[in-house]
Amino acid sequence: MNAIQIDRDRCSGCQTCYDACFVDVYRWDAEADQPIIAYPEDCVECNKCELECPEECIRVVPDFPGIYWPEVV
Amino acid sequence: MATLDSLGTVLTADLLIVGGGIAGLACAISAKETDPDVDVLVLDKVVAGWGGKANKGGGNIVFMDPADGIDNFVDFHVHNVGEFLEDQELLRDFGNESRGNLERLESWGVHIYRDDAGEPKYVRWLPEQPWRLAVLDQDLTLNMAKHARKLGVRFMDRVEIIDLLKDGERVCGAIGFGMVDGACVVVQAGAVVLANGNQCYKLMPRWSSAGGEGIAAAWRAGAAMRGAEFGNFINWVFADTKEVCQGAEDVLYNTKGENISKRVRPTLESDVASKEVVEWWNEVKAGNGPICANMAENYVNNEIVPAFHEDKLAVRPVSMKFWGLTIGKAMAASTVHGPMQPVMPGLNAELSPIKVDHQMATTVPGLFAIGDACYAGACLAGAVPAPPGRMRGSGLGFATFSGVRCAPAAVAAARAAAGQPDAAQAEALKARIFAPLGRTGMAAPDMVRAVQDVMAPVGYALYKSADRMEEALDKVLALKAQVPTLAAGDPHYLAACHVAESMVLGAEMFYRASLVREESRGWHLREDFPQRDDAKFLKWIELRDADGEMAVSLHDVPVDTYSLRP
Repeated sequence: MNAIQIDRDRCSGCQTCYDACFVDVYRWDAEADQPIIAYPEDCVECNKCELECPEECIRVVPDFPGIYWPEVV
Repeated sequence: MATLDSLGTVLTADLLIVGGGIAGLACAISAKETDPDVDVLVLDKVVAGWGGKANKGGGNIVFMDPADGIDNFVDFHVHNVGEFLEDQELLRDFGNESRGNLERLESWGVHIYRDDAGEPKYVRWLPEQPWRLAVLDQDLTLNMAKHARKLGVRFMDRVEIIDLLKDGERVCGAIGFGMVDGACVVVQAGAVVLANGNQCYKLMPRWSSAGGEGIAAAWRAGAAMRGAEFGNFINWVFADTKEVCQGAEDVLYNTKGENISKRVRPTLESDVASKEVVEWWNEVKAGNGPICANMAENYVNNEIVPAFHEDKLAVRPVSMKFWGLTIGKAMAASTVHGPMQPVMPGLNAELSPIKVDHQMATTVPGLFAIGDACYAGACLAGAVPAPPGRMRGSGLGFATFSGVRCAPAAVAAARAAAGQPDAAQAEALKARIFAPLGRTGMAAPDMVRAVQDVMAPVGYALYKSADRMEEALDKVLALKAQVPTLAAGDPHYLAACHVAESMVLGAEMFYRASLVREESRGWHLREDFPQRDDAKFLKWIELRDADGEMAVSLHDVPVDTYSLRP
């Protein structure tokens, strides 16, 4: 499974990562004003959250060997 | 007795557009340009402008220049791409309108890169191809959403639409739920446009967003499907990272050092075809694998792909960052170094079968479909999966074309008659939609993997034969029997259950249509019927629901009315 690392000390609570994720990995903790990595199992390493974070405090670590791949032959 | 208000949040709009990617936004903007007073509501499963594929792809869009000659374009396409299954009138319109659509996109805030003379900068995938690829940046949909808001288009994000509401035969709204709070959402609308993508079976990283919910909703509403047998697109991927290996199709080598691509494509062709995948399959089965792409000889990867990245063509800050990061991570993780890179087929599928006419109207009154939901169903591309349909840049091109085309007709339909949703019908649909929340049973990811297991094998979906497809279809039908056991614990996984159900439906459409086409044409390759058969199969294959069964019928392609005939 891909890992999503957030430096929460630097997170400004702008919600860009929450909006940018097109596969609904994130939820938003309104009280803490911080993202919640709710469904990391669905991350498809588009990297948009990392790319668009204005504070550059997100890192997506793809798990290439862990990608499920059916027998194709 | 239930009222609509008692079921959940009730929204109204003249025109409901499901999906805020490039097609949905093009349609929303065009609808407001058609009639500024029309009330347009765009619902997106996540966030409009961020979703969809357009902002995660190559950032190129096909267009024709008068110097290329529209006749040359149609001729090339019909003979080299779609093999006479194109709707040649629509293909010609697509080419003719492509240049104007570039300018439309530009007026909507999309940056089209131009040269000093003001002409769009472009590249060609292959030198002789009579079409061009303009480049744009990956912030296109965000800019389009911003423009749509300025025109008064309304948006509601994080709403998943599952089913359509009907008043008699006419679609009059839709029903779904909030992705975060799980609350039921009912929409009453004069007309509905499905712009929420095709079916990709969620196998490939990044390209896996499309779950086919719109196709499934259209099917349950009674819409006909067409061209489902071509929903089997495969991209070559590096074996270790599953990152796409552009251009591998021309430089495949077996372990004996033989170039197996040259056997089936002695000259450069327009993009990936299915026949080299068959060569891969045969070689691996014969023990001559792993098959490697010789990157030192890879024309597309070495000559064309870099052209998109050269500052002299266009400096695209968002795209450059995107590709730099994604490709960079894959390259850093690569376990094989040197020019010979093991590759394998990666299923994209791109099942896009909603049947539409030239205004993108489906066979159900009040219901339209655009973009990836109906590319094959429009029959523009012929005997190929679409996008890309062996024409890179056609995904963005068709999304824009179909969105623009659809808007006047959808606005007229929305204005002509507003049906009234029936509360009892909506209540029954709500019960069906939410049923997985009350169950213990099969988890959606398990169903998704099981469908992938039936769609990804080359011997099932790419190199077809009656016995193997019947075996695959039996597996699909066994999964279909398990759909009523799908279980979810929250709205996210409730949506996943409906995606899984849509995948099963898509797989059934694909195999049922494929079994009927007893010939080989384009991406439809039959081991048991290896020849093209124009006498029997110069036809489009349609699927319709017949009392719960999937009925298949064949319809003549009207080639006698076209300029090109076999």
